[in-house]
Amino acid sequence: MMKKLLSLAVLAFVAFTVTSCVSTTPPLYSWYGYEDAVYTNYKKPTEKSQAKVLEQYRYVIEKQKGSRGVVPPGLYAEYGFLLYKTGKKEEGLGYMKQEIALYPESEVYISRIIKQLEK
Amino acid sequence: MKHILFIVAVAAMLVSCGSTSSLTTLAEKYPGMYEEQPVTIVIMPPINQTNHAEAKDYFYTTLYAPLCEKGYYVYSPYLTMEMFQQESAYDSELFLEGDLSKFHEVLGADAAMFTIIKNWRRNNIGGALTVDIQYTLRSTKTGQTLYSRGGTITVDTSVNTGGGGLFGALADLAATAIATAATDKVVAGRRCNAYVLTDFPKGKYSSLFGKDQKNPAGKDHVTATVR
Repeated sequence: MMKKLLSLAVLAFVAFTVTSCVSTTPPLYSWYGYEDAVYTNYKKPTEKSQAKVLEQYRYVIEKQKGSRGVVPPGLYAEYGFLLYKTGKKEEGLGYMKQEIALYPESEVYISRIIKQLEK
Repeated sequence: MKHILFIVAVAAMLVSCGSTSSLTTLAEKYPGMYEEQPVTIVIMPPINQTNHAEAKDYFYTTLYAPLCEKGYYVYSPYLTMEMFQQESAYDSELFLEGDLSKFHEVLGADAAMFTIIKNWRRNNIGGALTVDIQYTLRSTKTGQTLYSRGGTITVDTSVNTGGGGLFGALADLAATAIATAATDKVVAGRRCNAYVLTDFPKGKYSSLFGKDQKNPAGKDHVTATVR
């Protein structure tokens, strides 16, 4: 009886701790060095920083280990936009369309960008 | 036996969420978030009330990743920035209390995140950088404020070289000055976001979406010193 009650108490304790601090959820996406690479390229764009940021996008796109297992919102669009601006137009448009496919709520905006680019 | 159970229950309460400072729930504090359930958020260019002109730039892009992590579709600030500049909408003051329906039309945004940088002060000798930022999320459909919270975060970048005597003290001072200057000021903004947005209700892409109404909301203003 004593043992049973004790194990019940332990169970209650564990359940309580698990449910009470739910804010510590694992990250939805893997960002790696995305923020620093993109910001550096934005502040002082050089050939080197641009090459680095393109590589960074590919890495983030290919190595998603976050709990959702998909690329974060906006990332395909950013990558596609940069590819387009650096001359890889078809590939760039492809990524922008991938953004809409993955996040349909982005369609209003992304299709507007595509239209502007194709003008 | 009852005593043991009681002690266990009290211990569980004490260790489980020590940081909880208020008994208000998220649903009580931010009811609009649960009524409207915004999916898409546009980050407005920060409103800079300091003399530090660069603060706006430093801070603008730091909100993107943390809001994505809360489970929302966030428009890339690198893409929207150009649009804001072209449409001469780079001054968010114009929209802070104004009509936001245009952002729903043009972007498909459900809500707009405004930030006001109230302080961005650096003390080279002390090696500390203090930022004071107010966050306000407004609905583009109803115009109502869905979320509002502020934070004063001090980033202490002081470095201890560990040397003794006068030379050691001078070296420490020099190292601190360098560390502060070299510290990317973006870090201060990131820390502030991390502290303030701890009680931001979860969005569509979070596994906690629609399940966090009863979680505790934080104070209106959070103050902290971090390294």
